[in-house]
Formats: sequence, structure tokens, C-alpha cells
Amino acid sequence: MRPSRTSYPLSWRLMDAVEAIAASVWPRSFSAAVPWLMLMPAAVLVGLLVLGLWDMADGSFRTLDTATFLPSDDYSLANYDRAFTEKLFFTVASRSLIGSLIVTAITLVFAFPYSYVMVRTRSAALRKFLLIALFLPFFIGQVVRAYGWLIILGSQGMVNEALGLVGVAPIRLLYNYPAVLFGLVQYMLPFAVLMLAPALTAIPEEMESAAGSLGANWVRTFIHVVLPLAKPGFIGAGLVVMTLSLTDFAIPAILGGGSQDFIANAIYDQFFRTSDQGMGATLALLLVAVGSIMVGVVFALFGAGTLAMGRSK
Amino acid sequence: MTGPSKPFLNLGRRRFLQGVGLAGAAGLVGMPFGRAFAAEPEKPKEIIVRAWGGSWVDSLKKGVSDPFTEATGIAVRHDLTEDNEIQPKVWAAVAQKRVPPIHINWDTTTNATKSALRGVTEDLSDLSNLANVTELAKPVGLDGYPIVNTYGYVYVLAYRPSAFPDGAPKSWKDLLDPKLKGRIALYNDGIGFHFPAQVAGGGKLEDIPDNMQAAWDFIAKIKEQEPLLGEDPDFTAWFQKGEIDAACTISTNAREAKANGVDIAWTVPEEGAKYDTDGLWIPKGLPENELYWAKQYINFAITKDAQQVWLDGLGLPGVVPGVNPPADLVGDPSYPTTEADFKKLIRISSKVQVEHESEWFGKFKEIMQG
Repeated sequence: MRPSRTSYPLSWRLMDAVEAIAASVWPRSFSAAVPWLMLMPAAVLVGLLVLGLWDMADGSFRTLDTATFLPSDDYSLANYDRAFTEKLFFTVASRSLIGSLIVTAITLVFAFPYSYVMVRTRSAALRKFLLIALFLPFFIGQVVRAYGWLIILGSQGMVNEALGLVGVAPIRLLYNYPAVLFGLVQYMLPFAVLMLAPALTAIPEEMESAAGSLGANWVRTFIHVVLPLAKPGFIGAGLVVMTLSLTDFAIPAILGGGSQDFIANAIYDQFFRTSDQGMGATLALLLVAVGSIMVGVVFALFGAGTLAMGRSK
Repeated sequence: MTGPSKPFLNLGRRRFLQGVGLAGAAGLVGMPFGRAFAAEPEKPKEIIVRAWGGSWVDSLKKGVSDPFTEATGIAVRHDLTEDNEIQPKVWAAVAQKRVPPIHINWDTTTNATKSALRGVTEDLSDLSNLANVTELAKPVGLDGYPIVNTYGYVYVLAYRPSAFPDGAPKSWKDLLDPKLKGRIALYNDGIGFHFPAQVAGGGKLEDIPDNMQAAWDFIAKIKEQEPLLGEDPDFTAWFQKGEIDAACTISTNAREAKANGVDIAWTVPEEGAKYDTDGLWIPKGLPENELYWAKQYINFAITKDAQQVWLDGLGLPGVVPGVNPPADLVGDPSYPTTEADFKKLIRISSKVQVEHESEWFGKFKEIMQG
């Protein structure tokens, strides 16, 4: 005899009720829409970003009237003309672009051996140590880390004190372009390692052993096997480091001593110092455009690397 | 932060009433305090005053905010958002007809003038204590009182005496000494330095703003000295950490560094030094009762008692006659009191500064970022 529904446990009956409510709110025929529904929050966020960019695009065509400190009613290309002709913006933009490329190159060079050892080491203790050393900086904000370098590299900092012990006079280690690049490399290294490590993990260790057994020394194995197979990781890491460096604000502001501004610093100045929101919007949009073009060129030349999520370009 | 001393606290309500002039107004003399304030608009729980941090906010708290709270029961919260960063927030709030994020903005007169020109400031002409202030309180080139200037300050040449064994620097040109390469600092937008640079570069103040080539030429020479560029807190930190030996900075910062034990002195060089003002203003869009009490706060800030304590902390000359300079600043060039003192200082109208600030800022940055 079939048992009565009332003999079911209470939790079953509750679940039945919940399912019935869910089915009335979201019928089974709607199930194909579930993935889209899950995409909704991200789509809303991206939509808000696009709305903001649209607003900024509108503002970029309006000039500031210094008699009223209001944006002009009419549209013009005056801000874009300034952005392309004023020496200040060219200097800051070229410094940012060159800096981001240098930082990307150096960071990848440093990140690769770190990732390789972390992935390949047989010592669990060493792997844990490398992982902890990698994640620790994430708990310390960018600004705090930059101030840490002020303490270490300042005229009365630890490095200069150590140099003083061997009779070397204090050296100005901060407030110059190399200091900014150094700070950025230190900041970007964990990002690059995190992007490289999965790509290296995906390389079967047997491939390296096979190359060795066929007579390739370590260098040839590295050049002809490891590097080509690690390319997706290099591309993914390079893209992340390049875009983050290009748009960085805090490190140039703190370690640059005010004379090594990047584009983000110039944008801040326009928005908050001269109250020229139109010019700030223009520079911000140009930064988005330049960053997008750089990423597009890399995608076109080398593919999307690990950012392609396993699909070919 | 240090609170007011006990006797000061005891006098709080009386001093406040004397200050704002309420006791003598509308037949309130002799009326119990409770009834006096009962006639006023409803009190908000708190008012929010944007302020600069460090000794700046400490002084404001001690001289104005704490006595105001003592007298009215209205708490004063200090919002330490940078003046440049609160400005677009206030502008956006007014444009969108929202209640602004602050009740009172303690601001540079130049910045405040931008807000006044944009039309986001309340008119403060009806403050009773404006009858007792000097002409310095009135913003130049603006109608009425969209801002009340509360004190003046000087961008002095601060220096480490040990780096100048022959005595205080006499000219801004002394910053070009090769031994100071990499050892000097300016504000990162050049504020405070443009006008003395115009004189040091061989130009005339009368040529400002039409021809400032002399200033740019002199600033280009200064650039060769690889100056550090920063903001108020940076100067104190850089002096303390031995990064710099000289800086163009507001005297208050130099005085604070000295109070922190840094060996530092300051002077007004022969070319002169920029003299400017800060002020208080109220953004439009506040509920009527909050606007009333925000006005009372500013009205109290321009009383002699409030100015004496507030500006003792800042070491700056106020806008009310009879305020005495702190003992350590008597006769100091950064605390001008006489006509002869003011002759050494350079004052350019806020309107001219506001109209050309963006252009000057861009030119300064172009030189320094090159």
C-alpha cells in the first residue's frame, strides 16, 4: 500500500513546498534562460560602466567656462585638440606607455622562474613558502606597500643606513622614474605569477623529460618546449600587468615625488585640481582607447593566452 | 587631539552667545538659555564641517567646534575629505538637487571662489558678526558674501638652518644653489610659487596674468634643481625624514614641523611671498534648519574668542581686530599685522587666480614633468 503523504518526513514536505513555489515563480520552461539570468548582475555592472563612459564621452566634448565653472552648452573638439597638442599630456602619456612596457617585460622575467619553481618543486614546504610569499602582499594595499618603500629607500631609510655603515654617503633612491618602475614591478609580480602558474601546470612534465631523453639540454628544452607551451601564460600575465601598470595612480604619485606622473595622475589633476571635468573625461577616454588598442594588438598577434579560457583565438 | 581646557569649557555657552550676538538680539537678554534656543529652528543632531587634518582640524575643533557644541548641543563632525575631492561631490549634489554631503566647507578662497562662481554657495551676508571683521573677510571680486574669509596665510620659504650656515636665505634665487639640488620642495601644482617666481625671474607683478614668462623662466631653472613636489603633509614628512632642506610652503606646516622637533625656520624673501586666505562657505540645498545652524557656526567662527583659540593653533592672522598673535609669532613675517608687513607680501585677487589657475597649473606641470 502506498504510504500517505503525511508519513513523509517534514523536511521532504518543506522541500516539496519550496519546489512548488519555485516552479510557480520560475516554470521549468524558463530553464533555458537560467544562464542568462546568472549573467544579469555582471551585465548590469558592465551596463553601468558603459553608461558612465557615455556620460564621460558627452563631457569630453564640453569645455570649462572659467567665468561660471560650468561646462559649455555647445560641443567642440577643443579638449581633444589640447590632449594631442599640449606637451604635458604627451610627456605623461609616453612615460606611462613606455613605463607599462618596461614593467611588463621585467615582471615577466622575474615571474617566470618563481612560477616554474612553485609548480615544479618536489618540496611541499618550498611550495607553501612560495605561495605564502606570493599571497602575503595581497593583504597589504598598494598605498601601504609604496609607503613601505619610502621607509626602506628614503634618505634616512634602511638601505641608506646600511650603505652608511660602509662609508657610502646617502643616495637619492626615491622620487625618480626608476623608483616608480621598481615599485610597479614589485606590485605586479604576484599578478604575473598567478597568471603564469596555471599555464606552467598545464605543461606535462613528461614533455620536458622526453626532450631530455632525446638529447636536449636544459637550455634547449627551455627554449623549444617550455617557453612555447607557456606562451598562453605569458600573454595573459603580460596583458594584466601591462593594463594595470598603464592605469596605475598610487605608485607614481607616492614614489615619483610629484614629477613622474602617469596618465591616471593627470586625469586626477583635471578632475580634482583644476575642476576641468571635460578635460579629465577626455584623458580618461583616451586612456581607455589606448589600453584597448594595445590589448587588441596583442590579441591579434599572439591570441588571448590564458584569457581565452581554453578556446583557440 | 586635545580638547579645550576646563575654564574654557565653562565659558563655552556664554562665549558662544556673546559671539553670535544672539544675547543682544530679539530681546533675548535675560532669557533662559533653553527658551532662547527654543525660539530657534530645530537643531540637527550634528553638522558636518569639511576640514584639513593634523594641526588644522585640531585647532578648529578646539577654537570653534567644541565651543559651538558646548553652547548649542549640536555635535560637529569633521570630514577630512581633501578640499579638491569634496568639491565635485558638492557640485554634483547641488546640480542634482540632493542634500549636499557637508554643511560647511573649510576651503581655500580660490577653490571656494570657483564654487561661488558656479552658484552653489549660500549667501552669508546676513551674519551679524560680519559687522566686526576687517576687509580681509570679504572675498574680492564677488557680490555679497558667498564665502567668509577667516584668516590669511603666507607661503614662506621654510628652511633647515643647518643647510644655510651663513644665515637665512634672502632670496628665492638662493634655491638655485647647486648644493640644494634634489633638496628643495614645492607644491605639486606650483601654488604659492608662481608670483614670487615672477619677481625672482625679473618680471613685474603688474604683468600678472598677461605676461608671466619671467615666472616660467625662473620655474624652469628651479626644475633643474630636481625639486620634490607634494602637498601639505609631504612637506612636514620630508623635513622630518631629511629628504629636503628648503620648501615653499604655508607657514603653518613649517610651524607644525618645528613643534614636532624638526630643526626648521622660515622667512619671507626679498621678492616677497604669496599671501592668500582661506574661508568658510555653505553649499546650497541644506534643509532650512540645518542652514540656519551652519550659519551660526560660521558666525561664531568669526568672533574674537573663537579666532583667538583657532588661529593660535594655526599661527595665522585672523579677520577680527584685537586677536593677539601667539607668543612665538610676534614680529614674525608669516604673521603680518602692520602695513609694513603686508608690503612684503604678494596678494593677487581670487578672481584672477581662479580664471587662470588651470592655465598656470598646466604650465607649471609641463615644466616639472618635462
